[in-house]
Amino acid sequence: MAILEVRNLKKSFDSVEVIHDISFSMEEGETLTIIGSSGSGKTTLLRCLNFLESPDSGMIKVKGEELLCNETLSGMSEKILRRKRLHFGLVFQSFNLFPQYTALENIMLAPTLLAKSDSSFDASGIEDNAKQLLDQMGLSDRMDNYPHELSGGQQQRVAIARAMALRPDILCFDEPTSALDPELTGEVLRVIKDLAGKHMTMIIVTHEMAFARDVSDRVIFMDNGIIAEEGSPAEVIDNPQNERTIQFLSNYKKNI
Amino acid sequence: MFQIVTLTLLEGFRHTLRLFFLTLLFSLPLGLLISFGSMSKLKALKGPVRLIIWVVRGTPLMLQLLVIYYGPGILLHNNIWGSGDNGRFIAALVAFVINYSCYFSEIYRGGIQSIPIGQYEAGEVLGMTKRQIFFKVILLQVIKRIVPPISNEIITLVKDTSLARVIAVYEIIWEGQSYIKSAGIIWPLFYTGVFYLLFSGLLTLLFRRIERKLSYFR
Ligand SMILES: Nc1ncnc2c1ncn2[C@@H]1O[C@H](COP(=O)(O)OP(=O)(O)OP(=O)(O)O)[C@@H](O)[C@H]1O
Ligand SMILES: [Mg+2]
Repeated sequence: MAILEVRNLKKSFDSVEVIHDISFSMEEGETLTIIGSSGSGKTTLLRCLNFLESPDSGMIKVKGEELLCNETLSGMSEKILRRKRLHFGLVFQSFNLFPQYTALENIMLAPTLLAKSDSSFDASGIEDNAKQLLDQMGLSDRMDNYPHELSGGQQQRVAIARAMALRPDILCFDEPTSALDPELTGEVLRVIKDLAGKHMTMIIVTHEMAFARDVSDRVIFMDNGIIAEEGSPAEVIDNPQNERTIQFLSNYKKNI
Repeated sequence: MFQIVTLTLLEGFRHTLRLFFLTLLFSLPLGLLISFGSMSKLKALKGPVRLIIWVVRGTPLMLQLLVIYYGPGILLHNNIWGSGDNGRFIAALVAFVINYSCYFSEIYRGGIQSIPIGQYEAGEVLGMTKRQIFFKVILLQVIKRIVPPISNEIITLVKDTSLARVIAVYEIIWEGQSYIKSAGIIWPLFYTGVFYLLFSGLLTLLFRRIERKLSYFR
């Protein structure tokens, strides 16, 4: 069964439709990358999945549970909305760590708050889990540092650990390395690849073509709010059929 | 003589301090309410609140003192402030509170709006409630950013209290000046300056401490 199913998703901003009728699905453990030119709607799609934007219509189903079906978020109670969005995690381009908390505290904050209000969420393992995540990110020695004491690459790895601490079913990345200096992108891409190896279900928006080809099970090329081409990296990146995909990828040929 | 002057000035300074602390006590929280009004999504609330802020910040405090003290009596034929020192003091306090809450509200608004939207969104995708986001994530960052402008404003308030004399609220400068007429001496006036310097110096040290306390993050 598909872990994620998206049907006929639509989203407009002030009568300009940015996502036109998008449908796709994912299997558990799959790594899906989304590529596409600037303004094609990649960020908007991730934001709809994470309920930072309200889709105008369409269906989102995770593990067989319909999170949303042709309804807007404003009709949903805050409590239900919060529970539903926990199926997804999001790693931002600009990290968005909380500056007043250490790396460890950044990771522990949300689970700690959640455990207070939701007794079904186990509070005892939060700290150990956070430390283990930092270890997995290669940052055990940095857990007591504040974000401003960390490099961009380290900050982004803390942000990944923070998103994973709530054990989302699907982890989304919005250009996780585009705010980084080139020499720091490698360390972040490595931990994402590591997660792919552990069969974390992930949707990754990226402009790193070599990485996309290396890490993905499947690639989606978005153009003007639609999925123009979809398939394995060998199909979409190495042997694109769609005119727009070919044109888009020709700009990246040097990088591949 | 020195001792007499010191005692009189101390008495005057007591009024200055009373006006100062009471103004802060009311205007710091009131300013927060006003800043929420000025950021409201409701146009019917935001518009009038911004208009009031504009008028209050765009006119001299001295003018506001006069209007608030004399206005009700002349326009409504009802001197709501009552007579005597106490009435005048309350009128002055009301004017100061209105004036300073508007200034503080703009500082709060600037501080709140300077927090990147990504901080809210990070909290949201982590399943935090609006309250948790404000109190656990946003508030301390806002406080850190507004301490320097608020401390500036507060030090200005120390000196602005002397304006209350236009409606005959006896504060320290009034007392100092009285010696020019009564004794023909000017040094008490300089002496009042020492009070202000010491007090604002004390406040400066206090705010520097707070800033240092908050310097562990950026
Ligand atoms: N909040 C918004 N209000 C109005 N228009 C928006 C908003 N957010 C995005 N858009 C518009 O939607 C379109 C898609 O934007 P989106 O950010 O999803 O593109 P993207 O594929 O992520 O681009 P990039 O590669 O540059 O990040 C753009 O034309 C953008 O201007
Ligand atoms: Mg984007």
